[in-house]
Order: sequence, then structure tokens, then C-alpha cells
Amino acid sequence: MYFDPNEYLLNPIISVLNWVVVVGCLTFVVLFVSMVNLIATRGASGVGVFFDELGGMVTDLFQLSPRRIWALTRLTYTEAIRRKALAVFVVFGLLFMFAGWFMGDTKEIKPDQVKVYISFVLTTISWLTLPVVLILCCFGIPEDIRLRSIHTVVTKPARRVEIVLGRMIGIWLIGCLVLAVMAIVGHFWIVRQIPAESQSLLTCRVPVYGTRIDFVDREGNAAKSGVNVGDIWVFRSYIEGATKARAQWTFRNVGESLLDSDGNLNFENSFSAFRSYKGDMTRPLFYDIRLINPEKNLAYTTDPQPVNEFRHKLDTIPRKVTIDGTQYDILKDFVTDRKELHVEVSCIDREQYIGMARSDLFIRMPDRQFWMGYWKAILGIALTLLLITMIGVSASTMVKGPIAAVLTFVIYFLSLKDNHQFMDQLVFGQVQGGGFLESVYRLVMHMGPSQELPANPAFVVVKFFDWVLNNFLWLCRHVIPYSQYFNMPEFVSNGFDVPWDTSILPSLLVTSAFIIPCVLMGYFALRIRELESK
Amino acid sequence: MSQSETVIEIRNLSKVYRDFWGRPKVRALNALSLDIKKGEVFGLLGPNGSGKTTTLKLLLGLLFPTEGEVKILGKSAADVSKNERIGYLPEESYLYRFLNAYETLDFYGRLFDMTAAQRKERSEKLLDLVKLAPQSRRRQLKEYSKGMTRRIGVAQALINDPDLVMLDEPTSGLDPLGNRDMKDLILDLKAQGKTVLMCSHLLADVQDVCDRIAILYGGELKVMGRVDELLKAQDETQIRSSKLSEAAEKEIQEVLQRHGATNVKVDQPTASLEDLFLKTVQESRERPGHRNVTDNQSVS
Amino acid sequence: MTNMTSQQRKLVYLIGIVVLLIPIIWLSLPSDGKDAPGGVLSQLRSKYELGEADLGDVDASSAAMNFALLGMRGMAVNVLWKDLDQQKDTKRWAEMQATTESIVRLQPHFERVWDFNGWNLAYNTSAEWDAVPDRYYWVKQGAKFLKRGVERNKRSTELYYRTGKVVQHKIGYADEATDYRKFFLSDPDPAFKGGPDPVINPDGKDNFLVAREWFEAGCARELVRAQHILDRSLFRSTPARCLFDYAQALQKEGKFGEETRAAWDHARKDWTEVYGHETFHALIGPEESDIMLEMTDEEIKQQAGTPDDALRVRRAVDAYQKMTNYRYWRTRAFAEAEPEMAEAHRRLFDAKQAYKAQEFENARTAAYEGMEGFDKILKRPEYASLTDEDVLCEECLLGWKIWDDIYQVSGDKIPEEFPLKWLVQMKNENQMIMLNVNKQFKRLFLETK
Repeated sequence: MYFDPNEYLLNPIISVLNWVVVVGCLTFVVLFVSMVNLIATRGASGVGVFFDELGGMVTDLFQLSPRRIWALTRLTYTEAIRRKALAVFVVFGLLFMFAGWFMGDTKEIKPDQVKVYISFVLTTISWLTLPVVLILCCFGIPEDIRLRSIHTVVTKPARRVEIVLGRMIGIWLIGCLVLAVMAIVGHFWIVRQIPAESQSLLTCRVPVYGTRIDFVDREGNAAKSGVNVGDIWVFRSYIEGATKARAQWTFRNVGESLLDSDGNLNFENSFSAFRSYKGDMTRPLFYDIRLINPEKNLAYTTDPQPVNEFRHKLDTIPRKVTIDGTQYDILKDFVTDRKELHVEVSCIDREQYIGMARSDLFIRMPDRQFWMGYWKAILGIALTLLLITMIGVSASTMVKGPIAAVLTFVIYFLSLKDNHQFMDQLVFGQVQGGGFLESVYRLVMHMGPSQELPANPAFVVVKFFDWVLNNFLWLCRHVIPYSQYFNMPEFVSNGFDVPWDTSILPSLLVTSAFIIPCVLMGYFALRIRELESK
Repeated sequence: MSQSETVIEIRNLSKVYRDFWGRPKVRALNALSLDIKKGEVFGLLGPNGSGKTTTLKLLLGLLFPTEGEVKILGKSAADVSKNERIGYLPEESYLYRFLNAYETLDFYGRLFDMTAAQRKERSEKLLDLVKLAPQSRRRQLKEYSKGMTRRIGVAQALINDPDLVMLDEPTSGLDPLGNRDMKDLILDLKAQGKTVLMCSHLLADVQDVCDRIAILYGGELKVMGRVDELLKAQDETQIRSSKLSEAAEKEIQEVLQRHGATNVKVDQPTASLEDLFLKTVQESRERPGHRNVTDNQSVS
Repeated sequence: MTNMTSQQRKLVYLIGIVVLLIPIIWLSLPSDGKDAPGGVLSQLRSKYELGEADLGDVDASSAAMNFALLGMRGMAVNVLWKDLDQQKDTKRWAEMQATTESIVRLQPHFERVWDFNGWNLAYNTSAEWDAVPDRYYWVKQGAKFLKRGVERNKRSTELYYRTGKVVQHKIGYADEATDYRKFFLSDPDPAFKGGPDPVINPDGKDNFLVAREWFEAGCARELVRAQHILDRSLFRSTPARCLFDYAQALQKEGKFGEETRAAWDHARKDWTEVYGHETFHALIGPEESDIMLEMTDEEIKQQAGTPDDALRVRRAVDAYQKMTNYRYWRTRAFAEAEPEMAEAHRRLFDAKQAYKAQEFENARTAAYEGMEGFDKILKRPEYASLTDEDVLCEECLLGWKIWDDIYQVSGDKIPEEFPLKWLVQMKNENQMIMLNVNKQFKRLFLETK
């Protein structure tokens, strides 16, 4: 409803290139560090050992046995179950028993509240499965090394990469099991919480967004955006009523498939109203929708429609429309040769404004079942768990359990939308007050972010350090995944289906991008280290 | 025997443990060289901290050598494929305590890529062999006594019918009966033509089953050779007989003195390996660097 | 230390722990009823009535949540407040309300939290919605929220006041007040089947009368626990002022019968006989003296020892009367009892209705008659002070504005002399009033059919 389903379309070539560069750099760094380490500990013979190991690694990769991997997977799985990882269900059960505490009124259900319910379930599930997976993946291998039970495994023909893979798969499976059980319970809980008469609020809308939005100002000239009415949130921009101001959407690939079963075109909007004077408050503000075909100079305008703020407003346009006594077919006469449909929205009331953003108007395709979207959201959580498992397991091959857990958690924490964006701002110098050292100085000295630093050569050093740190951050930013790709729950709690191209596919790609580096890194670390706890 | 195939070849093997900063902390093993032949039962002896377990771990690739090299079954220690033919019983059976006996053997069987039928057959056979009571086979290992853990530990070491068995303190924690079973098992393995490398500080075990031994002290090889040869004192003759009368003993002493024998003692024999061991340890403390290696073939 | 064995060291730690525990245990020993007063903390707790049960209704969930968070409540609350702010900025109202719920569970006895969030819902959130029923829904949410705050914090004087304020001011004086007041009696939500929302209006009363009950409860609390919102004299006038609000609202809605007269009468009695006889402590010279707003010279003489003191008491009473606008409301209440006054109100109301219906001739006549009525009353010396207050003047000036506008539009010549001309000239200087009058007139103009 009020969220911005950004287009996270990945450019395949650039993404893959980027991936190759990042993985290549990482591999180089890892190999370099370990060679230096080997030379330091074993002298000149270290070089030979390094290349032997490298060769051994490659040979091992070709001798993987599914049965061994599966044995290690089962081991991990059994370990988790027998070590009472499933106790998390107790917490889960308790939370749901007392969920009403956080929810407020359950008698009056508004569309907004459905969103809160769904978010609650999905957030709870992800925050409960996360620690389980985090603990299992970060403490498994270190514990195995500490108890030396790993000795009985590596002295069998099991390859160390198989241990890493077995751990990852086993933990992910247990994560998925926990997730699946919670998801089923959560699904029933949502359906039960919402009274029978409000069940229709559980929607899974399938939107088709315009590829672009353009604005026209009150004089009729093209404008970058509409008017800012003073909202802190600059998501929507506003157009003035009874002037030439309007917003224009362009929909691509418009064809039969976008019509509903009756052959109508459905537009849904979530415009927002802004009054410059209150006027008659009982009368809503009005807008109209115009379909235009610039090639044929045709235009069809709907009747004025009331703005229904903060709710879904559906406008149905029949396939056959009549303009001045002549009948036209929307698909044939309004869709241009490039299969584009141009839609304009303007405000009717004088001196009043209607706010809109690109995602505020979309063609609504036939809805899907709620459970379809819900389970896609669960898939999103499962992929996040997989990502964490991979990072956690490979971290745990290098450092001790608690450190691996903190490291993995920090990576996850930084991957969250707000934090990742903050990291972006730091990297691109959009944050006022300088880098780490400079801002510490400013904090201690009570200096505002815009105040000039005193002319002192020491600050050259400070700035240099900050520059170095910032470049390190740049590296981190490229390595740490951006969890916004895994935002399936957000779509579902907003009543939308999870789109394939902008959510599922990118998240699958991001996850798979981590498989190779994580597995290799874990394997490498496990191989070059002596499996003695020290 | 000296002509048969060499199973383990250790050359100039050293291991230095380092601290966090990479500074040398302990020299656990110093320039060890020895060969072990196929079909031998070889015992590594030494007090605690003498480098026995370190040697074993270096052989298995659990630790990396600081210097020197190791060939085991003709392969390097880092080569995982050598493990196909090796069985290893760790010092304390470091098994997964949440599995039961069947699951344990099934798990290790899978690691050898054995089929389900193979695993099942082999598990039953091994559990019988190590005499693990049937009623305890379905219990998780965390409920096992030390002796039972040792038995299942041996079973997992033999899951792949290995050619080379490495046993780290095989009899530790076993009662006398278990001890006997373990020794029988080792002799049985020898009879099957397997090579056994065991390390122990329990001298009686070693004396009973080993063909050859090496005594390590402070990471250095002190004594090595065939057990019977090592215990044969070169400048002494021992006469054994059933219990004699006092007159007979006196007569014998006179005969011996007539032949120029000095320091004649007539008493019951003692456990001589213990003597050897203590003597070696004692000498090592007094004369560091001294070696008594009778078995020349192993030093190149 | 280094010479100790590990066992000795552990023993030292243990002793240290025990030594540190003793004062904690001593401080926090629980009290078991009457016999043992318990440790210092529980004594202080009962002395200042800080036990959960003393503060208001016990909410198990809130206690459990605080317990489960161990010492992390502050951090959790910080995160929630940050979320709340973001949700407000991005207009995610339902989520914002859910966050608010979580916050008050963590800070159930932090009165400002209830105050702030109640205000946020009733004033900020409601203003973001366009449809009037939607706006009313959020005003109601704010009032309900504050009501729950009162239930959790029975000792709070201020929360009673805040709740009353939303019911009185937001519902009674918003731009949409006409609709809100109707909705207060007949909720737009079909769930209430045309009746009021029982949570905020269980007896189906007028909003000003419900607000009065909240203010009365607040005043009762105020005797025990001081408030820091208003001067005490103003705070204690709130229940009586609600009665004036009520009477004025009736007039504004065109009710001029017995109901309205009774409302004015009730208001006058409450104002002069109850509020007027409240005791306040005023500083008379170096000493404090009890004064009342309604004090005869005789009473003043009795109160003060010397004629000098009597003068000082008189001055103090005057100052208090000025601050609370006491004399105006007193006079107004008496004036409203005059039949001419009621008639004048009615004629001005008629003028507005006629103007809306575009019956301009009727409107001009009615407005003129209303102006005449007020001209007479306001010129009477005992009611002269009524021109000091804005609401009544605005009503008069709006009447004049209608009358004047009809002349302007019709092109007729505006008579040189007309009733209330002196008031128009006097208030022309006061921009605030003229702005309000023009605003009201614009709305009236927009409502013409």
C-alpha cells in the first residue's frame, strides 16, 4: 500500500562481471594471505606446500561423493535435533499465544491491520529461525574441532569440502524444517485471526507497474516532478487540480493478458489527497484517468473518481469504450505500435492537490491465492537462512564459534535495508561530518558537522585514515549482501504477490553468487588449518 | 620381514607448536625417522608428552609437519585418499555422543562410500567382534561407559577393513578383561596380515603384542628395535628352572664361580620392559641426545 | 594474587560476591504484608505508592515483556521510537499504532509517552486522512489511547486532563467539529449501529459533557497530585468551561429552546457557585492568603485583617478574575438568560441559514434584527464587558459580514448608520478576529447551495 516496490532488475552482464571481480579479488586476497602465512611458518618449503595444497584442493573437488556429503548432512541434522534445537518452537508457541498483546484491537479489522498481522507472523518467523541457524552454523564446526570428533571424520576418506557442504546443507535443512512448521502454524494463525467477513482482505494482488512516470506542470510543460507539499517523505509528488498539471504513466507490453476475465482493464491506485484549504470536508477530492494514444490523437477520459486515501481504489475501464458516438477497442486503438499504453491522471478540484508516485497506479491482474504469496515470502526467508548458513559455516571454519556468530550476525545486520543504505551513504560521502576519526573528533569537541576543521596538519593524517577506512567500507559494501533483494515478506504484507523478476530471481542470484565463494573459503580454511583446538 | 613392503616411512620429521604470534613454543617432535613394514605390530612408547600422539596425527594429516616428510601407504599425509585403507582409533574415542552404536558405524560406513547392505553387514560383525552388548547398541554414546566407548571406537576404526590400523592408547580405560580382548584383537589383526601402529604408555600391552617398539622421550627417538632383542641383555645370562633345593642352588653357584662368573644372583625374573623403559627415561635425563637403536635398517 | 592457587582465588571471588550481595539483598528485601516492612526499596515503594498495583491496572503482558528484556528495555524502546518516527513519516499508520502499543507496554508508567502518542494519533494522524469519518476514527483512537493511559496510571492528574482535552477541544473545536460532534453521538462505523462508540462515550452524552467528566476527575486528582500544564486557577475552571462550550455549541447548531437556556443556567451556577467558591492561595504582600473568585467586599474584609490587606486581597482577586476571564463568563451567563439575547442569537443563526439557501433578502433582514438585538444588549452597561471576548464578537461580526456582503453583491448602497457599527470599527483593528470572521464567512460562502 504505502511501500515502494522498487525495480530491482539486475543487469545480468554487469552483475556477473561484478561477481567475478569481487570473487576474484577475494580469492586473491585469501590465497595471498595463506601463502604468506605458510612461508612465515614453514620457511621456503612453504611455497611448495602451498602449491601442493592448491593441487590437492582441486583434485578433491573432483572426488566429491554425494553419499559422504549426505552422511555429513544427516549427521548435522541429527546433531541439531538431538541437541534440542527444536526448543525454539517453545518460544514460537509462547509468542503466538501472547501475540494479541502486540496487536491491539482484534475486533475491528482494517486492511492496514491485516498488514500488521502478516508482518508480525513473517517477522517473528524470520527472527526466530535466524538465531537457530546462526547458532547451529557458527558453533557446529568449532565444537567438532574442540571435541576432536572431527578427527574421526577427516581420517576417513571424507574431503574437507564435503564437511563444509554437509554442514551447510544439514543446517539449512533443519532451518527449513523449522521454517516450514512455523510457516504452517503462522498461516493458520493469520487465517484464524481475521474474521470470516474480512477474509477478503487477505489478498495477493498481481500488479503490473508502469515502466516510467512523467509529470506535467500547471502550465503544461514537462516537469521532473510534481509539487512538494511539505511532506518529509518525498516518495509522492503532487499535482495541482484544475490546471494542466498531470502525471503520465507508460505501461509496456500491454496485451490481452493484462485484462481480467470479463475483458476489462483494471487500474488500482493509492493516491493521496492534499488540500490547500479545507473546503467542504464531506466531499472528497476527485481525479480522472485518461488513456491516450499520441499516434492516433485519441483520448478517453473516465468520469471523475473520488480519491480514497490510504486504501485500494479500483477503476475499471471496459475494453470497448465510446468516444463521441464511436466505439473504440482499448487494445487495438490505444496501445501504440510499440505495445505501450499511455495513461494520464489529473486532479479536478481547484487549488487542491493529489499526490502520486510511480507505484501508486498499476494495472491489477487477476488476484492469486493468498497462500501463494505467503509461501513465496517463506521462500524468501529460506533463502536468507541459506545465505546466513553459508556465511556462518565458512566463518566458523576460520574462527571460534562466538566470533563466527558475531561476524555472521554483523554481516546480516549490515545487509538490512537501512543499514546497507547508510553504508552506501558513507561510501559515497553523503554523510555529513566526515569519516570515522573525523566524526569522533567532532563528537568529542562538540563540533557541528558543517563546521570547518581547524587548520592543522594532523587532520591530513586523520583524513587519510578515514579515506583508507572508507575504501575498506567500499569493499565491505560490495561483499555484504543487500537483503532488500529478499524482501518477499514486504510484498506479501502489503497484499501483493511476490514478483519473479524483481524479487525472486535477484534473491536466487544473490544466494547462488555466495555459494561458490563461501564453500571454497570454508574448504580452504579447514584445509590449511590444523584441526587441533588451541 | 625386512624385505617386505614399507607401509609407513618417516624421514626427519619435526613438529614445533607455535603460539598465537607464530613464535615457537614447544618442540614436540625432533627429527624422527623410522620405517614400519607391512604385517608388523609396531609400538610407540614414551611418557606423556613425548610426541607419540603428535607422530600419529602428523601421519594422519591432522597436523602439519614443521620439517621432514611422511609417506604412508605410498602417499603423502595430506592425501585424503590414503584414508581408504587406514583405520584410526583416537586417544579418547572422539565420537559423536548423540549417535547410537548403529548410527555411528552407519555414519562412518557412509564416509567410505559403502552401500547400505555393506554397512549393515559390517556393523553387525564389528559390534560382535568388539563384544558390545546388544542391548546397549541402540543407546546414545553419551550414556556409554569408558570401556564401551573404547569398543565402539575400535569398531569404527575397523569399519573399512583397513590395511593399516593406528591405535592411540588402545587399552586405556579398559578393565583387565577388556584389555585381554583388545590384545587378542591386535594379534588377530596381525594374523590377518594387517599392519598395526599403536602408541601406549602401558608397557605390558606393548610387550605382549608388539613386534618392534620405539621409545620416544622429549620428542626424540631413544630406543628402537625388536622387543625380544631389546630385552635380551648382552652381558648377562639368565638361567631358569623349576624351584630347586638350597643344596642344588649352592652347587650351581659353585659351578658358575668356577667358570669365572661374578655378581651371581639367583632369584625370580622381573618384568624387564619396565626396566628398559625406566632405564631409557633415566638415561635420557642424564645424557640428552643419547640413542640406542639396534634396528639399523630403519635409519638411513 | 598471582601466588594464590585457583581455589583460593575462587574463594576470594565468592567472598566478594557475597559481600556485594548483602547490601542489595538488604535494600530489596520484599515486604510480606503488614508485619515486616521489607527492605529500603520496598519501604520507599509503598511510601510513594510506586507498586505496579498502586499505579493503575496491572498489565501482565507489560510486566512480562519488561522482565523478558532483562536490562535491555531502554535499547528496545529506543529502537521502537525510531521506528515510530519513520512509520509516521512514511504514513504507515497501522504499523505506527502497533509500534505505539509496544512502546506503552515497555513504558506503561511514563505519562509523557501516553500523552505524546495520544496527541499524535488524535491530532497528527487524523489530519493526514482526507475523509471526515477517517479523521474521526483517528481522533477516537487518540482518545481511547489516552483513556487506557489513565487506566494504567490512575495517579496521573495530567492524563485525565489530556483525555478531556481531546474530547473537548479536538472533537468540539476542530474545523470538522460539526461532524465530529454528530459522530460522537452516532458513530459512522456501522459496527455501532448508529449509536456512539461505547469506549469513549458509554452513556451517549454530548462530547462537552463527557469532557467535563474527565476534567472533573482531573480536578479531583489535582487535590492529591499537582499538575504542571496550566495555572491552577485555570486548570480548575476546565469542568465549568465545558458547560459554556456546551451551551454555545447548542446555540451554534441552532437550538434556542429550553435545552439551551437550561445549559446556560447550569453553566452559570457551576461557574459562580462551584468554581467561584474554589479556594486559591494568592500571595498577599509577604504572606499567602486564601481567596475565592466570587468574593464580596464583606468577605474580603473578614479575610483580611487590615484595610490595607483588604485592598491587596481585592487586587489579587481581580488578578485571578482577569486570568481566568471570570467576569466575562459570569456576565455572559447572566446575559444569556435575557430573552432578547436568545432572540438575537436566533436571528443571526437564521441569517446564516438563509444565506446558505441563497435567500438573501431574508438573510439581510434576519442579520439586521440580530445585529439590533446585540447592539442593545452590548450597549447596556452591565454587559459592556462582553465585547472583550472573541467568540461572541465573532458571532456578531459574522452577522454584520453577511448583511454587508448582501449589500455589496446586490449593489445597493450600504446605509451610513447601522447597529453594531461601533463594534465593527472597534474590532477592525484586531486582525485575529477579522481573520477568523473572514474564514468563517468563506466557509459559509462555500456551503451555499
